[in-house]
Amino acid sequence: MTYGAFTGTLRHMVAVQDPLLSQMRRGTLQYCVLALLAKEERYGFDLVRGLAEVDGMVTSEGTIYPLLSRLRRDGLVESSWQESTAGPPRRYYRLTDAGRTALEGFRLEWRRFRDAVDHFVERSARS
Amino acid sequence: MRPTTERLVDDYLKQLDSELADLSRLRRQEIVEEISQHIAEALAASPSPDEVEVRTLLERLGDPAEIAGEARERFGVQPRKSRVLEIATLLLLLVGGVVLPVIGWLIGVVLLWVSDAWDSRDKLIGTLVVPGGLLLPLALLTIVTSAGGGCSTPVPTTGAPEAAACGSGSGGINVLGLIAMTLLLIVPLVTTAYLARRLRRSAPPAL
Repeated sequence: MTYGAFTGTLRHMVAVQDPLLSQMRRGTLQYCVLALLAKEERYGFDLVRGLAEVDGMVTSEGTIYPLLSRLRRDGLVESSWQESTAGPPRRYYRLTDAGRTALEGFRLEWRRFRDAVDHFVERSARS
Repeated sequence: MRPTTERLVDDYLKQLDSELADLSRLRRQEIVEEISQHIAEALAASPSPDEVEVRTLLERLGDPAEIAGEARERFGVQPRKSRVLEIATLLLLLVGGVVLPVIGWLIGVVLLWVSDAWDSRDKLIGTLVVPGGLLLPLALLTIVTSAGGGCSTPVPTTGAPEAAACGSGSGGINVLGLIAMTLLLIVPLVTTAYLARRLRRSAPPAL
């Protein structure tokens, strides 16, 4: 029971928290997807597992697919079907030029934002 | 895969498909297809996936309702509300007055004005065009056919004089009456169609 309560608290810390924080995670998630596709094209399963591997990024793997669909509609990624050595063809996602530009823009903004937040939050932790 | 695991996956995908009902058909198809592919990829890695494995996989994917909620949010689609009350309102406005004279229509008007699915202009149109819905034209039709029954039913065998007298006496009025009657019948139907269209548009469009 103590163990259950512990993992419950842990899950609570990671998943629920503040709705604003979960909005922030949702907002940055799409750039993490773009970043994962920046080096190479990937198929859905591979991409999702790549994101889920890092703790605290995704709680439900299935929610990545609506995001991929939206990114595709916005022209930030494009997809094509490719034969797979095992099983049916896979839909591979790759970054478009617009996607690359969006990622670059975010990278600059993110650095500024992260440093600015750290300036206050980290300093308050030290004092 | 063994049947139980197959059924688990099928049920999951079916539930996902129905949860995604608010999205366009293409979008919905794409998401279900990709998640179905995801499941196939994950299970292909295991030589013979058992029930626990499949359940864990589906749990990792997440509740279909959660995935659909994410999809609605990403595409800016509002969850579709049940339109039962609005449809009942339209039916009452149109034929409520016929089924339950006057009162049925009045209930329809009250429902129309308390609903938030239409704006004030729509509500005015719904109330004033035409009060009573089909009650007025149907009542008039009943009166006309029962009063002028001799004229409206042609009696070919009883000779010309009666038919001629009837035709010449009120022919002009009959044509005008017929047009008015047709309009009275059509206009409430047009109003109903208009309000139904406004109902479908009242959900905010996808971004």
